[in-house]
Amino acid sequence: MKTRIGFFDFTGCEGCQLTVMNLENDLLQVLQLVEVVEFRELMSEEVSEIDIAFIEGSITRRQDRERLQTIRERSKILVALGACADNGGVNLLASNQDVASLRQQVYASDAEHLQTFTPLPLHRVVKVDYRIPGCPIDGQEFLAVMQALLLEREPELPNFAVCVECKLAEYPCSFDYGEICLGPVTRAGCRAICIEGGDRCRGCRGLVDNPRTSPYHKVLEEHGLSVQEILEQYRIFHIGEE
Amino acid sequence: MSQAEILRFARALMQAYDVVGPRRKKGRISLGTLSDAADLELEFPPSVHSPKKFLFPHWDELFRFKLEGNVLLEPESAAPPRIIFGMHPCDLHAVKILDDCLFEGETDSTYRAKREATLLIGVDCVPDEHCFCTSLGTDRIANGFDLFFHRRDDSYLVQTGSDQGRQLLADHAPETMAGAHEAPLALQVKQCESHLQFPTESLPLLMKDAYEDPIWKRLGTDCLGCGGCTLLCPSCYCFNVQDKLELDLKEGQRVRTWDSCQFDQFAKVNNGDNFRSSQSDRQRHRFYRKYKYLWDQHQRTACVGCGRCSRECLARIKPTEVLNELFSQTPPQQLETSPGSEYQPQMARVERIEVISNDDRLFRLKVPASFNFLPGSFLQVSVFGLGEAPFSIASPPDGSDEIELVVRRAGALTQALHRVRSGDRIGIRGPFGNGYPLEKMQGKDLLLVAGGRGLIALRSLMLSLLAKRDNYGRITLLCGARSIETLLFQEDLLAWHRSGLIDCRFSVNEQGNSWGIPATDVSYLFRDLDINASRTIAAVSGPPEMYRQINPLLFRLGLPDEEIYLNLERHMKCGLGKCGKCRINNICVCECGPIFPYSSVKHMAEAIER
Repeated sequence: MKTRIGFFDFTGCEGCQLTVMNLENDLLQVLQLVEVVEFRELMSEEVSEIDIAFIEGSITRRQDRERLQTIRERSKILVALGACADNGGVNLLASNQDVASLRQQVYASDAEHLQTFTPLPLHRVVKVDYRIPGCPIDGQEFLAVMQALLLEREPELPNFAVCVECKLAEYPCSFDYGEICLGPVTRAGCRAICIEGGDRCRGCRGLVDNPRTSPYHKVLEEHGLSVQEILEQYRIFHIGEE
Repeated sequence: MSQAEILRFARALMQAYDVVGPRRKKGRISLGTLSDAADLELEFPPSVHSPKKFLFPHWDELFRFKLEGNVLLEPESAAPPRIIFGMHPCDLHAVKILDDCLFEGETDSTYRAKREATLLIGVDCVPDEHCFCTSLGTDRIANGFDLFFHRRDDSYLVQTGSDQGRQLLADHAPETMAGAHEAPLALQVKQCESHLQFPTESLPLLMKDAYEDPIWKRLGTDCLGCGGCTLLCPSCYCFNVQDKLELDLKEGQRVRTWDSCQFDQFAKVNNGDNFRSSQSDRQRHRFYRKYKYLWDQHQRTACVGCGRCSRECLARIKPTEVLNELFSQTPPQQLETSPGSEYQPQMARVERIEVISNDDRLFRLKVPASFNFLPGSFLQVSVFGLGEAPFSIASPPDGSDEIELVVRRAGALTQALHRVRSGDRIGIRGPFGNGYPLEKMQGKDLLLVAGGRGLIALRSLMLSLLAKRDNYGRITLLCGARSIETLLFQEDLLAWHRSGLIDCRFSVNEQGNSWGIPATDVSYLFRDLDINASRTIAAVSGPPEMYRQINPLLFRLGLPDEEIYLNLERHMKCGLGKCGKCRINNICVCECGPIFPYSSVKHMAEAIER
């Protein structure tokens, strides 16, 4: 029997699932090996048992919590798909603000019946087996993780910094342009796509296992950042605060 | 060649080859395949990556396999014929280093395939503020390229460096090949802002004592661990090997990708241990790999001073600054070295001379600093004007700064040594070579077999054993000589015999000798020998004919090949594994010996057989 996989989403932009769909031809090949049993963007069926559940988004409501728990019960393997599911992602930008006034600001007159709380990454609610970081995820990395799981091999994420991918691709260093870049402490695996596009790294893939924060902060200070500003850099994707 | 000729040449090359040259990419120079010959530039600042990315690429398929049924292996695909047009001298030097490392021992055939299919065309350069090639002598190059383009006013003088290079010109620029041969240009003087404040020959000595230096700790604190330095290094080649499967999970490839000793997981093993657990360890390793370890093997650094590591380092770690700082902390007298210094002896004082036979004298020398060695190692002794000769060390490695040598009067040099008096100074180099395995001998029974002057090396061993007698089991010495006259160390031998600590047996060939022992040779001493072969190591030292005679006896006792250690001294002239005089088939005795387990030399026809 083919491995049964499902895709689920909570609070997020669905960009990670869109990345999966954008794999197009690759995805068609993968479908030879797996059966997609649930995927709201493609179909409406529901099943009782799932081999691998890929879950996007963070948890912001009581009913989300319960839904996630039932998915967990139905799934053999649960994978957090993307930054929101993995560590809260940009949803957590609001984490240091008052929830009530924030709700008022966002939902205005609907605030009463949209009972949300500070977003939680999946692992704060259920056991997460594996994670695919990034905002959005990298399609090739998604395929690699899926491949590993199909082969019953432990999926591995790169444990070196985005700098490596810049060096390999011969992209000039953002710091050379006076840009503040989170590449030196951020986990690689994105092929430095933002740097390639002329932006800087904002850390969407989270920190490497052993970030060299002290020499990194020294570099940031040399570029004129205060401690507060350094922490602000980390806050965009809520990294280093777990 | 004029610019127009170069353009025609490049166009012609592009018909037959993948031509790689410098291109502008995001404001910097990157080597890549040229699509238009007009884009070829011959004057450009250092490129981000070196030509390593074509000769030893980051993603290199080793072979392909299929999972279904049997695993099918397909050989690696052939490398495309390629020309790298625009190699700076430092990058050409770096290719020599890759060659040294990847062709040594088991040849790396994946590298070789690309290396052989690639022609290298050099061009000159202007160093930038990170280059320090002038300190390492890599700012120019005499060979290792197929062609080299030297700038001359508004044209270039082409230097050929190989038959293939000449053929390339003949095929693709016949008018240039047919043109007049010209004298080489005068060497350009290059200036580097970054430079070492000491001669490179001092590097190995500098690094020798720097292992525990606090500087590594500081580098570890500064370093971001991004690995950029090693990835961009033109001579770093450490790699990882992984299987990459196709999406259908039916087939895949085994690939190697660049790895870096600066990464956390590089030296990590399965149980979680990490053999270089701190960034300080990793930076130190990088510097030792670049400036010490390769020097020990090939007398060159693994660094070509291209500056790529510091050009891209966010933490601004600069090799010149690190090395100059180490140098500034090191007392200058320790670094007095210059080209050829490995051949320069140090002076030792003769403390005492003892006549130990008609022709032999024992010299006790005070050396500048105590040194470590294993019994069986040798020293080179110089008499200026007469040369240098190797002598086995006769004293044990006891950590003292006095050592003993036995010199037998034979030729001019040894006769001169016999004229030396106490208090005189003579030149020594060394110690060199591998000795008897003292550590392995612990707890074992030992059978020492000496023939004639072979006793000198075994005396060093015997004194080492006696200094820690309790660490060893039974010790038996079988000692043969032509006559009592020529028997060395008679007092030592008698003392050992009487001590009862070892079982000493003697044989001499002369009838009616003064010790009253029957005239036999050493093989007779095996007759009543009672040893436990399973716990015995044999240390044998004598002339080759003795090995031919007694090796069979040792085998008959049941000793395995790897427990029989033979002294295969030859004429070790340089002691550095270079001169070739002491070579036994493919090994140099001075480097690998002179003490060998029989198992490692039995295949070598030149070792014992005649």
